[in-house]
Amino acid sequence: MRETEYRLKDLMIGGLGGDADAHAALLRALLPVLRAFYRRRLGDDGEIEDLVQETLIAVHTRRASYDRDRPFTAWLYSIARYKMIDHLRRVGRHLPIDDVGDMLASEGFEESSNAHIDVGRLLGALPAKQAGAIRRTWIEGMSTAEAADAGGIGESDVKVSVHRGLKSLAARIRGQRR
Amino acid sequence: MNTEALIEQLAKDVRPVPRHARLSRLALGILAGGAVTLALITLVLGVRPDLTIAMRGAAFWMKWAYTASLGAGALAMTIRLAQPEAVRLSRFWPIAIPFGLLALVGAVEMSRVPAADWLAMWLGATWKVCPWLVLMLSAPIFAGLLWSFRRLAPTRLRAAGAAAGFTAGAWAATLYCLHCPEVSAIFVLTWYTLGILLAAGSGALLGPRMLRW
Repeated sequence: MRETEYRLKDLMIGGLGGDADAHAALLRALLPVLRAFYRRRLGDDGEIEDLVQETLIAVHTRRASYDRDRPFTAWLYSIARYKMIDHLRRVGRHLPIDDVGDMLASEGFEESSNAHIDVGRLLGALPAKQAGAIRRTWIEGMSTAEAADAGGIGESDVKVSVHRGLKSLAARIRGQRR
Repeated sequence: MNTEALIEQLAKDVRPVPRHARLSRLALGILAGGAVTLALITLVLGVRPDLTIAMRGAAFWMKWAYTASLGAGALAMTIRLAQPEAVRLSRFWPIAIPFGLLALVGAVEMSRVPAADWLAMWLGATWKVCPWLVLMLSAPIFAGLLWSFRRLAPTRLRAAGAAAGFTAGAWAATLYCLHCPEVSAIFVLTWYTLGILLAAGSGALLGPRMLRW
């Protein structure tokens, strides 16, 4: 994780300095990172590749928004997350993610969930209904409707459970940091 | 298009990005918009004829200190929201400090004049047009900021739109001081602030549509 950060950041800074090879290498190095990011959250391969391309274009055209003093991967994942939320809104899939993306990002959820925190253990601390809803929609990648069927509950119940569950998870992580 | 071809195409256009590109782009948007606003004030509204005399008085500088400090705070918000990383909006509370200070000045001012004059002091001669003029004059600066945002990456579009509108409103109000003859703190506190908030509100409404990328 840490190594990826350093390698990608080096390439990014090279590209910002006008080095076209470093920039091309960066965009190539981002492919597996972004594919993995979207695959964890979305099902369809064509959809994933479209988002990967859109994200690459955004990384390219909006690279002036990157602050060299800040971590590169945080910047990258914020863009990827924005693109995903925008995509889901566009295709009209209404997930309760209005502010969840920001909420998770602000809690360093990306790094934490990858490296340090055992997601299963965290979910275990939630009520079973909330944990189930989060596991199905965020980890197993089900749609709200599928998760509702699988859990034997209503769709709005799934949305509310995910929302409440994520909120209390965020509060828990915040508590641990303090 | 296949992804490899896309990368090759993108890698053909790698201009260097200076370290403070983000800031200079925002500054350029504000300056370009501000130039239009300044032209509108000098050509359409007219600079107040007694400007050089007024600049020797405290009231003029009080107004400028208020609008310029709001403008600086709002710009700091805009800079932060032009980056994709999450931020807690509650961190921006210091933007309320100029308002609090001007309210104190206003209270002192009111204590020095008879209560019968308060209404006249509060409404001045231009309270009906002041907020709307500030709102209209903010439009060019807001447009300049929209241009700046095209290379930046706001992810909270409503907040970013509101911050851009706030910035545009505060700098428009700063320039509007060149025209406006009002002198009382409670006038500025009410009607200038209202104009700036109208600009911020318009930004919040337009943000999700116009800043999307």
